[in-house]
Amino acid sequence: MAELTANQLPAAHDDHGHMSAEEHNENMKLGMWLYLASEIVIFSIMIVGYVLFRINQPDVVELAHGKLGVGLVTANTFVLLASSFFMVMGLRAMQNGNRAGMLRWIGLTALGGIVFLGGQYIEYSELAHLGIVLGYDTSSIWSTFGMRFYAPTFFHGAHVFVGVLWALEVMRRGAKGRYDDNPIGIEMFGLYWHFVDVVWIMLFTLIYLV
Amino acid sequence: MAEATHELAGGDHGHHSNTVSLLGREISVEGGIYTVVFGALAILTVIEVLIAEFLKGAIHDSPDAAVGLTALKAILLLGIAVIKSSLVIWFYMHLKDEKRVIAAVLLLPLLIAALSVMFVLAIPPTGYSI
Repeated sequence: MAELTANQLPAAHDDHGHMSAEEHNENMKLGMWLYLASEIVIFSIMIVGYVLFRINQPDVVELAHGKLGVGLVTANTFVLLASSFFMVMGLRAMQNGNRAGMLRWIGLTALGGIVFLGGQYIEYSELAHLGIVLGYDTSSIWSTFGMRFYAPTFFHGAHVFVGVLWALEVMRRGAKGRYDDNPIGIEMFGLYWHFVDVVWIMLFTLIYLV
Repeated sequence: MAEATHELAGGDHGHHSNTVSLLGREISVEGGIYTVVFGALAILTVIEVLIAEFLKGAIHDSPDAAVGLTALKAILLLGIAVIKSSLVIWFYMHLKDEKRVIAAVLLLPLLIAALSVMFVLAIPPTGYSI
């Protein structure tokens, strides 16, 4: 997605229909919010699949909670919350004209995403070892639980992975001074990353705690 | 740090200020409201885990009260999760500074999803008996 800088755009909406930088930014943000709105619906479907299972098979979920534990996932949650903080600090730094600061904060954001994915890999490995797998054996309680557990958590993990790649791209562009005049590209990535954080806040509570 | 000094000297309370009004007191913290929100998110997460672990033990020890305690646990934990999510959306995603149309874009799918979820939850898993 190519962002236009303030220098590349006319100062106001002219007779040729060119947008001002401000209008361009507003349109970009609205587009991102609309995309995130569609993501809400997708994640809601996965969450309700899990909630129905939670209501109808409480004993299985309690057993699963015993196997899952909360130590690793709580640490992972803190990592993702911290990465959201790093993200917003990166945007703040760029808005203050501090490019080097922005690169540091966004780098920490990407690192947080990588650590989160590492934690998720460890968790999945442990669960697979305990027999909680992604399968379609309806006669196995762990298979039916696994379907409902892995679908939302893995889909979320895939979003984190995309976010890490996006963070690295933001750093590459930022290092070239792409956001010096108009940091909308960082703000767009921030909206995505914070949304991924919000989804995890809900998944953490619904799947691991309730 | 020059940036922080400038902001403090400016004394504005925008989203770049390091001065935050908290419970009627002005505090100065690097990162301003963003740091305060992160602190709140971390504390709420700890509270969530403590409530979950405490009530899990209570449910195990009192099978007679299990239904009520499970419902209480769900309400408390989901309430905290909604507060945490709202903090991120309001401050980190800057919804507080956005136009109303953005809030509508966010709330409309949430409403549709909530209605759909209620519909699915209302259907008995094996159908209605007549």
